[in-house]
Parts: sequence; structure tokens; C-alpha cells
Amino acid sequence: MFRFIIRRLIVTVPMVLIVVTITWALIRLAPGNFYTGEKKLPAAIEKNLRERYGLDKPWYVQYGRMMSNIIRLDFGNSLKYESESVNEILKRTLPVSATLGILAYLLALVVGVAAGTLAALRQNSRLDYASMGLAMLGISLPNFVLGPILVLIFALSFYWLPPARWGGFPSWNIVLPVLTLSAVYMAYIARLTRSGMLEVLRSDYIRTARSKGLKERDVVFRHALRGGLLPVVSFTGPALAFLVTGTVVVERIFAMPGLGNYFINANLNRDEPLIIGIVAFISIMILIFNLLVDIAYGFIDPRIRY
Amino acid sequence: MLNEKAVRLVAFILALAMLAASCTTQASKSEFFGKIEPPEGQVLRYISGSEPESLDPQMSSGQPEARLHMSLYDGLVEYHPKTMQPIPSIAERWTIDEDASELVFFLRRNARFSNGDPITARDFVYTFRRGLNPALASRVAYLAYDIKYAQGYNEGGVFVRDPRNGRFVTASEAAPGTAAGGMEESTAIPTKGLMDDAAFQQENEALHRRELLKKGEDAAPDTEFHRLIHAPTKLVVPADEKGREKAVKDNPKLKDLLAGKELVPVQPEDIGVEAVDDYTLRVTLAQPAPYFIGLLAHQFFRVIPQKTIEKHGVAWTKPANIVTSGPFKLESHKPYNEIVVVRDPMFWDAATVKLDKIIFYPLEEQTTMLNLYKAGDVDATYNHTVPASWLKSGVRNMKDYMKTPENAIEYYQVNITKPPMNDVRVRKAFALGIDREALARYRAVVTALTAFTPEGIFPGYPRPAREDFNPEKAKSLLAEAGFRDGAGKFDPNKFPVDDVELVYNTSESNRQVAEFVQAQWKQNLGVTVPLRNVEWKTFLNMRSKLEYKGFARSGWVGDYMDPYTFLSLFGQLGGDNGTGWFVPEYAKMLKAANSEPDQAKRYEMLAKAEAFLLDAQPVIPLVTPSTSWMKKPYVKGMYPNPGTLHAWKYVYIEQDRAKWDKGVPDMTGDALAD
Repeated sequence: MFRFIIRRLIVTVPMVLIVVTITWALIRLAPGNFYTGEKKLPAAIEKNLRERYGLDKPWYVQYGRMMSNIIRLDFGNSLKYESESVNEILKRTLPVSATLGILAYLLALVVGVAAGTLAALRQNSRLDYASMGLAMLGISLPNFVLGPILVLIFALSFYWLPPARWGGFPSWNIVLPVLTLSAVYMAYIARLTRSGMLEVLRSDYIRTARSKGLKERDVVFRHALRGGLLPVVSFTGPALAFLVTGTVVVERIFAMPGLGNYFINANLNRDEPLIIGIVAFISIMILIFNLLVDIAYGFIDPRIRY
Repeated sequence: MLNEKAVRLVAFILALAMLAASCTTQASKSEFFGKIEPPEGQVLRYISGSEPESLDPQMSSGQPEARLHMSLYDGLVEYHPKTMQPIPSIAERWTIDEDASELVFFLRRNARFSNGDPITARDFVYTFRRGLNPALASRVAYLAYDIKYAQGYNEGGVFVRDPRNGRFVTASEAAPGTAAGGMEESTAIPTKGLMDDAAFQQENEALHRRELLKKGEDAAPDTEFHRLIHAPTKLVVPADEKGREKAVKDNPKLKDLLAGKELVPVQPEDIGVEAVDDYTLRVTLAQPAPYFIGLLAHQFFRVIPQKTIEKHGVAWTKPANIVTSGPFKLESHKPYNEIVVVRDPMFWDAATVKLDKIIFYPLEEQTTMLNLYKAGDVDATYNHTVPASWLKSGVRNMKDYMKTPENAIEYYQVNITKPPMNDVRVRKAFALGIDREALARYRAVVTALTAFTPEGIFPGYPRPAREDFNPEKAKSLLAEAGFRDGAGKFDPNKFPVDDVELVYNTSESNRQVAEFVQAQWKQNLGVTVPLRNVEWKTFLNMRSKLEYKGFARSGWVGDYMDPYTFLSLFGQLGGDNGTGWFVPEYAKMLKAANSEPDQAKRYEMLAKAEAFLLDAQPVIPLVTPSTSWMKKPYVKGMYPNPGTLHAWKYVYIEQDRAKWDKGVPDMTGDALAD
């Protein structure tokens, strides 16, 4: 187990470097620069800018500097927001995105698992159809549609909840974005739980447990759920990684000062250090979460050994 | 596995909820949009646009920043809240000499920074020099290029000095056409290169006396610097070998002038800004620029604290370090979330400031902004914030909707270097083939434009108008240009559609306009011009390098309130020209207009230049946009001016319902506040 973790961690490093290199190359290939704007800059001013930010150096010097930054985990200063370092931006925006993401995922997990379990236990009942119907709606309704609908109802018609903006945690501002964000995940989890549970409920060891005379509650919670949740666990890794590192659409609709908002703007602004920093950070997070999932497998499923 | 009934039920419930929601919005037949509850106390919550690039006024180029910087920094002049013409601020008064090439500002003595330090003419000298420092690499430094030697300094240029007698080579010596090898021989200007030192001195003196005799010059005492800055303009050449080689290639005369000379870098001390004393600032321009005073309210020229900047470097704008000069000072800055500024008691005009606090919300999504506005969470928004679909659903009839013609134009530019667009008749035909009135109706909040300056914001400017829409004439022009059948009539099939396209940067509204224009051309001329959308930065690149064929979308927002800010686009080939059209005669017309001291005559000359430009038709004017924004009725002192830039010290919250604004506030009259 320990050796497995070490091995996986070592692989992470080159993976991140490859991702970063590809990103860096793509930024180079995209036309325009962080200073290109509607009004064209006089040649001299452009020259001043290029000198100041080292863009006049050959590409391998720039690449080397970027790589040494990455290895030291210091991504330098943003080009657009000059007075801020990329690390400061990450430090400030991550808590916002993480709060939204974790809350949304917890909500999705609680509601999704409950709905999925109930649906599996009462297969083909009205309850099953209703919850799976809702789940299908949740999956097919994109969050840029769901978000505005929720805002229209709760913020603009009844004036119950604020329509946007970050108000810290906890605050009423967080309700609508969390609901919007969790809908899809809730639906996925419900469906995954249902199919996982259905499979497990038909398996031999559940039949054994039932024939031993265990109470249905014990059968479901102690035996079936453990196996039935395996698909949810493997879904959790990437899902959580994406949620925590910011979700562009929801952060924009609700004007949240999170990582996702910065990421989209960094790309539009061609803000190289910021793009590289965020990409490196997100890839590290995804790799780590995947690793955690693999470790969790070992605990939940006795058949898996590393 | 899916129960259709369940899906239908859910869909039904959702539909019902939305219906209920829309009913409540419709039912409340208010004259205003959404909740109207003034905040307690004098607090304004304002949506300012994207997150500001920097709190350093010289490091940002956009309008979102301008709005914020206007609260934090004060300048020599401030924008008039209604007309945006310059009004006195830190400068109590000023004089401009008769050919508009020298300005003397008299500063008030009670202006202070937020830390209590007095603001003097020296602070302005520092501000101007710092903004132009090439190491700062400010993107808006070009705004100050009218100041003598400012461009040379910002470009890192060098003067050329003769090591034998220490005399600098002047610009007129190097001007093409003044000596052998020039393009046109001129006898009027003496060849200074051959002048001896005594004669040179004499001429220098005469020039200086002429300068002193000009009206306005007597306002400030003569100084050594004043003498130096008015000496014949020194030649500036690029500092690097390559740049110089190119300059020599363009102007062979330089070769002899540079031989055996030493190169002296242009220093910050060389530029035409001088603190005559603590409260007198003199600005000398390289050429007459009557519009220059209007530029000085731009954030680039607003005064910044030297000591703080030198102490903290780039980090001077952090909330812990920042020192400001405006009516408000920074309380907190949470990027992408909010910027809070509070009243600064140190401000010289603190008695006028009514608001205790302004909270700026940096936001980018239009819908989100209007949601916040409707829910009563913000009190006002910046320009172009109302989405088109909302406008059409009635928002534009509400009494808190603000609209005025903007200091901006929208047009299509034409790449005149490629056929068939190199033929002026073809360009004219396409201009005549668009029904702009129909376009304006379709766009809802714009006005049709047939000139190259916006309509109705430069009082007294005899703006030349052109024929808007005439498909018959357009067709005959195209026939004349050679696209005709045997009978001499215009034949659309002869037109090389493959050689033109209409390129625009990706955006919903650009696409709508492009499709509209495409349909117009198809209907009126029978020509279907293909459309192409391109990502923003790629698009800019394409346009400036003339890598498009046919038409490209374009818009221009004026830097100051004068037609010249638009007309100067085509005063040179590079920059924002992007069409390949350049005629020296046009540049000369502009220059002559700016040297004209009489404003009415100057406007006439500019209008003539504009007509000249329109005749050549390197652009197809479309519309003048409108500033389209919202303001709650209880926000007073905030006017829909052409740039949507508000002098914050006049803005306040009115609790008394009887005094609320019902509709666009009165824009006439010179009163600064009501």
C-alpha cells in the first residue's frame, strides 16, 4: 500500500510537467498577447512591455524560467493584475471555490445516496420513477439554465434570496449557487447509487445476510450500501477535484470571486503565469484526488488489494 | 425505465413556477425596475465593470478602472458631470497660449494626499514623468505624447549632439525637404545645418521672444527651463542601432547629421513639464493641441504619491500602503468581489463630497448585474449593462433607465489594399447599400451614423452628413466599377464575392449586426458577403495587420471630448488605422485645424477633413451607440454623460421621495449639482 502511494506520487510530477508544457505551448500558439486591446499600442510602448516582462527573450529562456518557477512552486506575478502573485490569487480564491464545491458535493451526496437507495429498494415503484425522472431532468438541465431559473424564482420574484455575490460563509448568498452546482451531481449520484445497490442487492452475500435473519436495516446499511457505493466513490475523485477548483459557469452567473472566474479571465487575458499556475494546481488536485479514491477503494472493497 | 408521467409532472411544476415568477414581475406595474429602497445613509453601491487591472491609475487603460480611479485620485481638472468638459479641480484656473501649445496651471494651495502631504506642482511633474518612464511600460503613455519630448523619452530615444560645440541637431535640420536629398526643395526654411553658431543663437533668442509675446505666456515667470524647452526642437532618433538604421533609410539626410555625433538619451527632465514654483505648473506641447486640456482628466494624469511609490514599488497599491489624492480613499479591496472607498477628510473639497462610502462591485455578466439591480442590491450600473432582450421587454421605458448618445462610433473598416475594395466606387456602393435607420430600429438603443464622429455631443461642430441609403445609386456605382452585364446594368454575378468577407469578433450582438448588414446587402445589391467570426485577440491581430479581405467590424471610443479623437485615427498608416488608407493631405488638414486658434474655424476645418475622409470611404459608418444603463431614482447628481464617467463628489443618495429623479435628469444648465 505504502509503496503504491509513493509510486503514484512520483508519477504525478512528470504528469504535471507535461500538462504545463502543453498549456505553455498552446498559449504561445494563440494569437494576441496580454496587452493586446482594442486600441493598438504604439510600437515603442509594446517594446517597453515586452522588455519589462521578458517576452523579448528567446523561447527556451522563457520556457526555462517558467519551469524553474513551477518546480519552486512559485508561479510569479500575474501579468494583468500586476500587484498580485499567482500564489496569492490561488490562496484567496481557493477557499471560495472549495466552500461552494464541498457544500454542493455534500448536498449531492446526501440527497443522491438517499434517493438512489430508496429507488433501488422500491424498484419500479412510483417513488423509483419519480426520483429517477427528477435525476434525468437534473442531468439534462445544464447549470446555466438551472441557475437563472432559480434566480428568477427565488431572488427576483419573491425577493427571498440574494441573486448573486459572495457573502462569506455561512450566508444566504451561498444557497442558490450551491443548489445550482449540486443538481447535476445529485442526479448522477442518485443514478449511480441506484444501479450499484440493485446489483449488490441481488448478490449472494446479501441473500446470505437476509437468510441469517438480519434486520433489513442492517442488511441495507451494513452490507449492501458498502458495496453499492463503490461507483459513487470512483465518481467522487474527479468530481470533487473539479468542484473544488472552481466551476466557471456557476461562479460567473453568481459573481463568485473563485478560481473558476479567474481561470476563464486568465485565458481571455492571455495571462500566462496565472494560466500556468491554475493549470498546474488543478492537475495536481485531480491527480491527488484520484489517488485518494484508489486508496479509499482498498478500505471499502475487501476484494481490492494493492 | 423512465416514467414519462413523472417527467411530465416535474416539467409541469417547473413551468408553473416560472409562470408564477414571470407573472409577479409583470404584475408589479412599477414605473421603476425592481425594488426601490434607498440604502440607509450615504452609501452608493455601484457596478463598475470588470475587475480593475490595477489601482495604479497609470497602469490601467479601461473605463472600469477610470470609474474607480475617479474616486481615488484627483487631477488638474475633473470631468463636468453632464458634459464631460474639463472643469477646475486641483488646478484652480489655467491659461492656454493662443496657439494651444503651452498651458499654465495655477494649483490650489489646500490640496492634500490622503496621508496629509500637500499636493504641489512638483507632484504633477513626478506623475507625468513617471507615467512616461519606459520602464513602467504603461499602455496609455501615448496619451501624453503631445507633451514636448514625451514620446522621445517614452520610446527610449536619444538626442544627437555635436561633441565639438555641444550643440544639438534640431528636428528641422533633419526634416526631409530642407536640404539636398530631400523630397521637396523648400526655400522658405533656412538650412540650419549650415548656420554658424552666432546666427543660431540669434534665431534662438528671436524664437524665445516670440514665445513670450504670446497671449497667456505672461501668466508665469520666464525660467531657464522655459528657455530650453522653447529652443528649436531637438532631433530625437532611436537609441538602438537597428532602429537608427531604419530611420536613416527612411530619411537619408540623417546619415550626414549623425556622422561623428554623440548620442544623448532623452531624460525625464527633458520633457515639457515644469514646476515653475510649488503651485504653478507649466506644460509645453510639441505641437498645438487644443484638445489636450480635455485629456487631463484621464486617470493617467491624476496625481500620485511619489514617496509611497518609491518606498513600496509595485506593492504601493496594496490597501496597507496606498496613498491617494481623490475625494475618497481606499478602505478595502477584495478582487473580483468588492472595492470599498470611504470619504477622505483630507480632500481639498471634502465639504462638497456627500457620499460617505462607495462600494464598487466588479462584475462581468450583464444578466447578473441587472439581477442585482432589480433585487435592489445595487444602486447604479455602468454603460451598456442592459441586455438587449431586457431592453425590448420594456426596461427602456422605465423611469430609471438612462440613455444618451455616446462619445463613440461603430463602423466597418475596409481593407482598401485588396481588390475589389481598392476601388472607391465599390466602397461607396456598399456604404449606400445599408439602411441604417432600419439597423438603428433593430438595435433599439443606437442612432444611425453616416459620418465618422458621433452625433450630437460636440456642440457647434458642423458635422458633415452623407447620404444614408440609396440602393439605386449603389448599383450604378458598382456597374461603373465594371461589374455589369451587356446592357451596362449592374450584375451581381459578376461581383467577386469570394474576395470579400465580413469579419467580426465573436459576440452575440456583433453577429446580429453582421447578419443584418449581410441581409441588407443581399436584398439591396444582390451580393451575399460571407460572414466570419474570430476570437477577440486573434481578430485584433488580423485587423491591424490587414490580414482580412473586405470588411472588419470596428468601434472607437473617444479619449476626450473632441472630434479629433476620432479623426486622428487616419492621421497615420499604423496604429489603429487598420484599413491601409493614408493620404498625407488628410494629415496636413488635421494639423492645420489644430493650429487654428479660433474654435469655430477649427471645427470647420476638422469638418472639412472629416468630409475628405468620408469621400475616400475607407470606413463604412454604422451607428452611434448609446450609453445604456440604470440608476435608482434616489441616486442624484449622476448624469448620463457621453462617457458614463461620474465625478463622484457630486453624487448622493436622496431619501426624500419628492426629489427623486423620474426619468433622465436635467442635462441642460451648467449647475454642477442640484
